[in-house]
Amino acid sequence: MKTIYIAILLLLGTSAFANDDKYYEQMGKQIQNVYTAKTAEQLQDAINAFDRIAQVEKSKWEPLYYSAFGSIMLATREADGAKKDSYLDQALAQIEKAKAIAPAESELVALEGFVHMIRVTVDPATRGPQYSGLSMQAFRKALGLNANNPRALALMAQMQFGTAQFFGSSTAEACGLARRAQEQFSLYKSENPLAPVWGKEMNAGLMKSCQ
Amino acid sequence: MPVFGQTHIGGKVLDVSGEPIPGANVMIKDTYDGTSSAIDGTFSFVSEEQGVRLLVISFVGYKPFEQPVELTGKAISITAVLKEQINQLEGVVISAGSFTAGEEKRRTILKPVDIAMTAGATADIAGALNTLPGTQKVGETGRLFVRGGDGSETRTFIDGMVVLEAYGPAAPNTPSRGRFMPFMFKGTSFSTGGYSAEYGQALSSALVLNSKDKVDLNQTDIGLLSVGADVAHTQVWNRGSVSGKIQYTNIRPYFNLINQEVDWKTPPASLEGSAAFRQQVGKTGMFKLYGNFNQTDFSLYNHAILDPTITQVYDLVNRFRYVNGSYQQELTSTWSVRGGVSYSYNETDTRTDGIPAAETEAGLHSKLVVEHTFNDQLELRFGSEYFHRTYEASRLVDSLSQLQQVSFTEPIVATFAEAEFYASNHFVVKAGGRFEQNMLAKESSLDPRLSIAYKPGKRGQFSLAYGTFRQTPQNQYVRINTLLTPEIAEHLIFNYQIVTDRKTFRVETYYKWYDQLVKYGSGSGITNTGNGYAKGLDIFWRDSETIKNVDYWISYSYLDTERDYLDFPYSAVPTFASAHNFSVVYKHFIPRIKSQLGITYSYTSGRPYYNPNQSQDQYNTDRTPYYSDLSANVAYLPKNNLILYFSCTNLLGRDNIFGYEYSQTPGAEGEYVSRAIRQPAPRFIFLGVFITFSKNKSINQLPNL
Repeated sequence: MKTIYIAILLLLGTSAFANDDKYYEQMGKQIQNVYTAKTAEQLQDAINAFDRIAQVEKSKWEPLYYSAFGSIMLATREADGAKKDSYLDQALAQIEKAKAIAPAESELVALEGFVHMIRVTVDPATRGPQYSGLSMQAFRKALGLNANNPRALALMAQMQFGTAQFFGSSTAEACGLARRAQEQFSLYKSENPLAPVWGKEMNAGLMKSCQ
Repeated sequence: MPVFGQTHIGGKVLDVSGEPIPGANVMIKDTYDGTSSAIDGTFSFVSEEQGVRLLVISFVGYKPFEQPVELTGKAISITAVLKEQINQLEGVVISAGSFTAGEEKRRTILKPVDIAMTAGATADIAGALNTLPGTQKVGETGRLFVRGGDGSETRTFIDGMVVLEAYGPAAPNTPSRGRFMPFMFKGTSFSTGGYSAEYGQALSSALVLNSKDKVDLNQTDIGLLSVGADVAHTQVWNRGSVSGKIQYTNIRPYFNLINQEVDWKTPPASLEGSAAFRQQVGKTGMFKLYGNFNQTDFSLYNHAILDPTITQVYDLVNRFRYVNGSYQQELTSTWSVRGGVSYSYNETDTRTDGIPAAETEAGLHSKLVVEHTFNDQLELRFGSEYFHRTYEASRLVDSLSQLQQVSFTEPIVATFAEAEFYASNHFVVKAGGRFEQNMLAKESSLDPRLSIAYKPGKRGQFSLAYGTFRQTPQNQYVRINTLLTPEIAEHLIFNYQIVTDRKTFRVETYYKWYDQLVKYGSGSGITNTGNGYAKGLDIFWRDSETIKNVDYWISYSYLDTERDYLDFPYSAVPTFASAHNFSVVYKHFIPRIKSQLGITYSYTSGRPYYNPNQSQDQYNTDRTPYYSDLSANVAYLPKNNLILYFSCTNLLGRDNIFGYEYSQTPGAEGEYVSRAIRQPAPRFIFLGVFITFSKNKSINQLPNL
């Protein structure tokens, strides 16, 4: 009897390990796909793959994070306001689920701010005041969880830059923040092999506008 | 030992009409195995799983498709037909009779900021809604007159609870302003007929204002206005917020500068305070408490029409209190409950040449509503409410030098139920009824309500609404005869609308039957024997797409109405009705100068007035000249948290005449002498500076203006 138990335990153990390998392998592949997607179809494929992984890996926040990231990318490509909102709703739903798994994850809070930031673009005049406030609040919260999160810094810089441009005021503060983000991008290291690495190019683009 | 093998799973994802659905997520549940459907709806993948598993296919806007499959190594082919989820954003909605403004519902006709930034409206909710079709401009009152209905036939509700007197006091024949500022509300639903069974005691129109939920950010706002000042502060904590505002308005210095039609002794001044408390309770509960107080006073000279040198001093003090508490909570995923209590108190003390008179109205309204969702197609809402209203008027009778007093108390109990059924994303029916028991009039009534909407394609849709509505006659009649029964209006509305992301077109036609209207009898008594009708056509067009940074809308209303009520000798057009109303609202944001410019033009065809010099068969046949107004406003944002605001009504200075008053007795030539009712001043000019302090520098008061 005992040996059977051990055998089962071993079997479970190895299959769990095997699953972990599969998890990292699949995630790594799909993360590449979402970063390099050129069309809406490719993005949707990646989002679907992350959603499939998420429904198996119920204790992992990363699949939900990247699913949401993919939906945000879809929203930025979409011209129709209602569709844009529907992608952002999906992104937010996944972020909420992920936050239930990892409530103190700075990256998730920063991504939530990103959602609010894209919301503004649907109707800046009406939504600006509300959603720019919500996004700034999220970025601050993300920086509270990790003061060196380069994505939170870069998104905040982007938001401040946009607002300053809209009102024609000085962009100095936004550009200072973008420089800080640039530093943090080069210093950024994470123990998590699946941690997000995007945002450096976006920030570099902003740095160009700052010169 | 089973043989480890791969099973090939392929097939196609289609919608109900047979069109392919690309991008659907196809998976074996609880495994990594799966794929996305291609542009032609096809999919194909392999799985190494064995045995019976669940195949799930999902796509946004559709119900997930689930089918058990046995994985044995033998290829499986599946054609999946996905059913649409009902009640999605793109689905059909009931639109007959209603204009909804809110930020969250994305395809709405007017947003709160639109109400605030409409030129000529001077940030008054009624003023902005007056640019929508279905309303008739009655410039000397400032109230909302809807489809041949009197101003009192429009009822205001805040978070579902009634407000007894939603307008501030005003001198005779001068416009009053709404008591509630648009910034308080996240959404406004303005119904010009056919509204839900939940709303009673409103004959023509329901203005439903939904106050904001929990506020997200701490901030302090200061406003310096040419006619006063205000300060507001909002404090936020984790699951709640509290905000307060104090406003002092004194129009005296302004009136000293600009000549007024009214002969003021002391122009109006008012002190107003409001406070709102929000607290989230548990996961889905929300408690809201809102209170408002206002005190206004003014004094003026009335001039006799025959001999204007004869004057009479008229003093007025008005005190208003309003408290509204509401709570809502989801009980389970399919049951929810909401309820509330509101209390309104309105007291007006006047003195005419020193002789006092007073009028007090106090009302309590409580309501409980339960909602149940059976499935994504059927929803049921039912509830019960109780109104308790007391009215008291007193005046000193000069000749007797004794106090004359009248009063009444009106309790009303009402129950309503309404079911909403979505046959598909193309067809919805809402049917219900309202049972009301009026203990003062000793009347019980059952009023049916029905709405149907049909959306044949992706954008355009047809709606129809029918219902019976009733409302207690105005206090000045009930106090004479407390047995008067409620007045009745029956509405039939037909609507077509086509809404795209940033363009809206709608056309609506309606017929309204009025019955049991108050009518003076042959003696001194008043009865419910009056009746009338109203019919018309409303057209609305809004476009914020075609021209960059420009948003404009055009409204036109045609109205044909007659009534035989009050002291009318026979059926005639009432003095507040105008056949043609037309308005254009234009807003242009100019980024280069950081300014928003707004222009509003309104036109109203001539209104009838009673001329006692005419023979009896010419009742209300005279017409005033047409009304027209061109107003403009500019909001300039030099810094993120600073706004300079300027507005001016009637730029062209047209001398609009709203009607004529006649002398009580004929003059020297045997004719009754007339006096025109004019605008209080040709123009109203307003200047304001608004400053916001918050951690977030991008916040300003633009949405509040």
